[in-house]
Amino acid sequence: MSQMYEAMVLLDNDVVRQGYENAKSVVTDTLKKYDATIHACRRWDERRLAYPIRRKNRATFFISYFEMPGDRIPAFRRDLELNERVLRYLMLAVDGLPEGEVDEAKVEETAEFVVPAPPEDDAIELIEEPTSELVDEDVDEEELLMLGDDKED
Amino acid sequence: MAAARKVRAVIGATNCDDPKIDYKNVQYLEKFLTPQGQILSRRRSGFCNQCQRQLKQAIKRARHVGLLPFVL
Repeated sequence: MSQMYEAMVLLDNDVVRQGYENAKSVVTDTLKKYDATIHACRRWDERRLAYPIRRKNRATFFISYFEMPGDRIPAFRRDLELNERVLRYLMLAVDGLPEGEVDEAKVEETAEFVVPAPPEDDAIELIEEPTSELVDEDVDEEELLMLGDDKED
Repeated sequence: MAAARKVRAVIGATNCDDPKIDYKNVQYLEKFLTPQGQILSRRRSGFCNQCQRQLKQAIKRARHVGLLPFVL
């Protein structure tokens, strides 16, 4: 008996840069390999990760809804785990297809759909530390020594 | 006389049975984390037992896929 599943797959941005269809096929081909009935598969987002995964700071998230017999799930999971292009995945059993999911997936199939390109560099944006105005860098070492002497008195 | 108990603001009291509790809804889930990234207690979040469990599960799923940090 088939059960409906939701799979969130994190793909390496380097794969997406090589070609979006190629990247999407990483997910769809794996699903087809295990005779899954794909109801929807789309790019969810491309965003910075809260912590690095396999030394990657950003990833493209793909979400897919599919039906698959339960006995094929362990093999499917193992396939995803062995795939080097998949950074991480989350698979959940769901009651049904969420509303609007099919429509959102169909948008990707239209000719007008343009894939937002992932940023060229995955490096973490460095946040400049605010310089404190209270710290006076021009203070001489001698002055500091004198201040120290005053305290001793 | 014992000191009056400090009452803290409850965040999600009106949001119980809210369909927003989902691991993909990161902005919503972030409200129920402490500055260190820990999950707020039921007393602080204001959720019922069932919703607090859903919240916990959603935050843990979001952490797994790198949407939320384990520690801030």
